[in-house]
Amino acid sequence: MADDELFAREEATMAIAEQLLGDGRFVEPEDREAYATLLKDYRKLFRTTRRLMRLADRNERELGAMAAKQRLAAEEISRKNKELETLSSKLAKYLSPQVYESIFSGKQEVKLASQRKKLTVFFSDIANFTETADKMESEDLTQLLNHYLTEMSRVAFEYGATIDKYVGDAIVIFFGDPESRGVKKDALACVEMAIRMQKRMGDLRDVWHDTGIETPLACRIGIHTGYCTVGNFGSEDRMDYTIIGGGVNLASRLEHAAPPGTILISYETYAHVRDEVYCEETGNIRVKGIAYPVATYRVVDLYSNMQEGAAHIRAELPHMRLDADPQLMSTEEREQAAGALREALARVEAASTPPRLGRAKMSRRALAGA
Amino acid sequence: MASLKIAATDRSPAVLFDFDNHHLTISGESYPEDVSTFYHPIFEALDAYLAGLGDGSCRFDFELIYFNSSSAKAIMMLMEKLDEAAKNGASIEVYWYYDEEDDTMQELGEEFGEDLEHAAFHLEKMAV
Repeated sequence: MADDELFAREEATMAIAEQLLGDGRFVEPEDREAYATLLKDYRKLFRTTRRLMRLADRNERELGAMAAKQRLAAEEISRKNKELETLSSKLAKYLSPQVYESIFSGKQEVKLASQRKKLTVFFSDIANFTETADKMESEDLTQLLNHYLTEMSRVAFEYGATIDKYVGDAIVIFFGDPESRGVKKDALACVEMAIRMQKRMGDLRDVWHDTGIETPLACRIGIHTGYCTVGNFGSEDRMDYTIIGGGVNLASRLEHAAPPGTILISYETYAHVRDEVYCEETGNIRVKGIAYPVATYRVVDLYSNMQEGAAHIRAELPHMRLDADPQLMSTEEREQAAGALREALARVEAASTPPRLGRAKMSRRALAGA
Repeated sequence: MASLKIAATDRSPAVLFDFDNHHLTISGESYPEDVSTFYHPIFEALDAYLAGLGDGSCRFDFELIYFNSSSAKAIMMLMEKLDEAAKNGASIEVYWYYDEEDDTMQELGEEFGEDLEHAAFHLEKMAV
């Protein structure tokens, strides 16, 4: 509707008023003057109304345009945020959650810098992986490796580990940076994680066996607690948050020395965990760059786990090794085990009692000697 | 007479009434929370100034980019005061500056000018 149409009634009223003013019906000049003033003020008021209406309409249009602009901007911001979220969640998968968190929260500066810290370093790999890989198709190998790494990483995250990197089938993990619960607790968390990983490997062996992996996979783990240099290494354009130092090499060396399916730790780690973890001394190893032999320990299990499974019989003695879990045995297996133990007992006892013939010979020899 | 200076805010215009030089300016955007409270001291100062102006001359510049309806009423009241002073013998020049791209402000300026019967009115584009 046009502006004029909107105000047609008012325009008509004013036209009539003008007509009345001009047709000479006012007898008294004062009356005419008052009427003319009234009409003038009415006209002014009418103009003001139109002006205010136009201003209000214009402001509304501007507000509408601004709101539309703001809506578009908000949509654009929301779209960009989603893009950034998607991108950062993709990028997060290339970083350890703790490192990602420390960078995105601003606690960690993204620049080439490092610091020395006492960390517990973990190395693992799959024993004879190359042989297994040679027998497999590339697609199956990829699936196997990703499954293995996913399962191990899941355990690592449960224990708050910082996953440094994957190198083929090898995993490098550390505890104590960017967050630390104290050296002792970090070391214990690392060893507990390693025990959990080996147990998980036990479960996975059956799964893999069912999918056609003939030789059971076993992983070797080495752990050492010591001073390392941790931080960003690389160039200004491309850097890795990682660890370097003699302590890292020692953990790697322990992993190489560990028999498949076991966890080998250094004395430094052992000293922190021995109250909670049952370990067996396994002798010394020589490590390049370390002048003295390094004492090593094989992790058996947490004492708390061992108490839970009190039925488990374990004995490690010179010339004797016994490892039995009657609860896991079937009735037939239990009978077989009991038979084997009875026979073993009889032989041990027999060995500790000198045979009669022997005694007679000894007596004769003694007599002859006398 | 002391000048009246009010700094601009996000919602209210800058006011500079330089009474000694008879140059009064109001500029910016005007949509204050309370129009009456904002414009009351301006009306008071202008009334006092115009009362003493006699047949002197004065220039008033409106350089407004945006104003709401209540502010429009206040602007009309300022114009009426100026026109009344001109009617009483003062030489009043009103300048209305508008943004070249804002047709509404130009039209409003024209209409404000039509209301003035005694004061001289000038419609000018704002300097870019």
